[in-house]
Amino acid sequence: MEFGLIVGLSFVMAIMSFWAIEERNLVRATHIYTLQTLTLVGIFLAIAWEYSIGTLYIWAGTAFLTKVLLVPFLILMLIKKIEIKHEEAPFGGLFHPFIIIGMSLSVAILLEPIFIRFSLLKLQIPIIVSIFVFMLGILGLVFRKSAVKQILAYCLFENGAHLTLAVTAYNAPETIEIGILTDAIFSVIIMGALAMRFFNHFGSLDTSQANELKG
Amino acid sequence: MFENINYAINILLLIPFAASLVIWFAARGNNRVILYTLHLIATVATSVVGLECVTHVASGNSFMSLNDFILFDSISGIFVLAISVIGLLVNLYSIKYISWELDKGEITFSDARLFFTLSHVFVFTMLLSVLSNNIILMWVAIEATTLSSVFIVSLYKNKKAVEGGWKYVIICSIGLAFALYGTVLMYSSAYHIIGNAHEAMLWTSLLAHSVEFDADLMKIIFVFIVIGYGTKAGLAPMHTWLPDAHAEGPAPASALLSAVLLKCAMAGIIRFYVAMNSIAEVAQFMQNIMLIVGLVSIILASLFIIRQRDIKRTFAYHSVENIGIIAVAMAFGGKTGFFAMFFHILTHSVTKALAFCTTGNLQRIYGTRNTSGMGGLIRIAPVTAVLLAIAMFSLAGMPPLAMFTSEFYTVVAGIEGEHYLAVALFILGLAVVFYGLVHHFNDIVFGKVRGQIIHNGDVGIGANLPLIAMALIICVIGIAPPEWFLELLKSAAAVVVNSR
Repeated sequence: MEFGLIVGLSFVMAIMSFWAIEERNLVRATHIYTLQTLTLVGIFLAIAWEYSIGTLYIWAGTAFLTKVLLVPFLILMLIKKIEIKHEEAPFGGLFHPFIIIGMSLSVAILLEPIFIRFSLLKLQIPIIVSIFVFMLGILGLVFRKSAVKQILAYCLFENGAHLTLAVTAYNAPETIEIGILTDAIFSVIIMGALAMRFFNHFGSLDTSQANELKG
Repeated sequence: MFENINYAINILLLIPFAASLVIWFAARGNNRVILYTLHLIATVATSVVGLECVTHVASGNSFMSLNDFILFDSISGIFVLAISVIGLLVNLYSIKYISWELDKGEITFSDARLFFTLSHVFVFTMLLSVLSNNIILMWVAIEATTLSSVFIVSLYKNKKAVEGGWKYVIICSIGLAFALYGTVLMYSSAYHIIGNAHEAMLWTSLLAHSVEFDADLMKIIFVFIVIGYGTKAGLAPMHTWLPDAHAEGPAPASALLSAVLLKCAMAGIIRFYVAMNSIAEVAQFMQNIMLIVGLVSIILASLFIIRQRDIKRTFAYHSVENIGIIAVAMAFGGKTGFFAMFFHILTHSVTKALAFCTTGNLQRIYGTRNTSGMGGLIRIAPVTAVLLAIAMFSLAGMPPLAMFTSEFYTVVAGIEGEHYLAVALFILGLAVVFYGLVHHFNDIVFGKVRGQIIHNGDVGIGANLPLIAMALIICVIGIAPPEWFLELLKSAAAVVVNSR
């Protein structure tokens, strides 16, 4: 039953990730990202329960505090200050969703057999989902023009990497998890501050307008 | 100075970290004297302790501290040497540079305080990245170098600086995400073999078990690592952030970024290379990858160098070219190749630091970075002209300056390894760069002034003294490198060669 729960939550996380990337309303996208991260916390708890891994309860707790509460709060503060609620159309137009789903899924299916060979937990679906979410985030950073959406994309790929780490290497020393989480939080804070500066100079969050540096 | 090297290493990490906090909290109320004094004390202290540490590893010793999280061997020694010497000289120059910018009203006092605070955080993260014995801690530290330097890059409050900073943080984050995946994979595969979570994260353990690794997996991990740390190092085609970030930041920041930061990312690639080198099939694969990205970097950068008019962008593309040279030296391998690689890391560090700091002088004299607005520098500021000549001719690979020597050894390594085509392409790339540099040098130093002169005369001995020291180092290393320096290079090269 627990194994079913892990797989079920993994699918929910994949859907939430895609939804967070595709949602044009920035506030709604942030809320969906929060739910996606809550699902990640749920996966940590489900794995911890199923395989009796005490460390993952701690991972779930720290992820809840930092990624479910702190990071969305920071992003919502940024959106409130800037007062831009909708993102610009992404690169790729109508084909955009098909491009990112196709590429992310292909990479995930291609890499899963390699990852699972050395994974501590042989959980095929969560590994595929973790790589899929990671790739969605990477492609989100590449294809989305809105600075806030790029920050959300960064958070998504960070969540993907976090899930990979939990499944393949949950026994890594806690200091490592703390280091990665601290980096993630500082990244969001610094990208947020830079996005504010961007808005102050360009009057927009559309990063495609920043094209003065060429050649 | 320190009886216990482990104690010295801990102090080395502590000084810049503590200095950043002290500067941030103590230097307030527009008091420039306190700001500069604190920065100066911290800079000198970091460099003295750093150099003291390097003397312990020059002959090939290695030390571990902080529960094996820190590894100080001759490879770390190379990078600590660069951070200590270049950090000292660039940070000394930055005091004058920042005071010019304050006087001109380009930045405020709180910007200056932020700059100096972040400079020390930046040095701390770079030191941590090259001293880390833990593969994930190294990733965390390299990611932290981006975060600590992004506001140094976008210190100026204009559109271009913000654009440069945004590209820097986004592109490097994408790249480093791949490095994180490669690192997690490395840990998982190592744990599978070693069976101990702590040991599976240490370079020293990975090296001890390297023959047991799965060859196919190692190849995939290396590709992830080259994309990841290669992006941060500025290897083509992942280099697109580099010209913008280097050009838009203040000159001392560009100097630190180009001279030291790029090499710290290369340190990540080198550590993985060493850990995987014992499997012949993987070693060949890694050499092929490094040869391709190295040559692409050199040739692509050389084409951009010719068409540049912005002197800082020209030097930024030079960084891409020189990271390519380091990659090619690594690919040629063997004793000579790895010796050349470490040699070039240091010669490029000091040369590029001088080049970027000299652009600070040029901006002060002409008020522009565009070479079409310069000219006649030899008459306006002869000291700056000579410094620029030493930097540019060393960059061009002119004997007997430092970079000629390291490039010469790279060519020798290529011929020894019978990579004739690669050597031919390598020399072709260098020839194009030489032409481009001489062309730019003529435009700046000789002829009539084509733009305005904002500051007629040299910038003063206070600003030029650190640059003169860099120029002397370039000449000494090129003509008669000290014995301890060569010994350090040989020890570091031996670590890579013996990993086979």
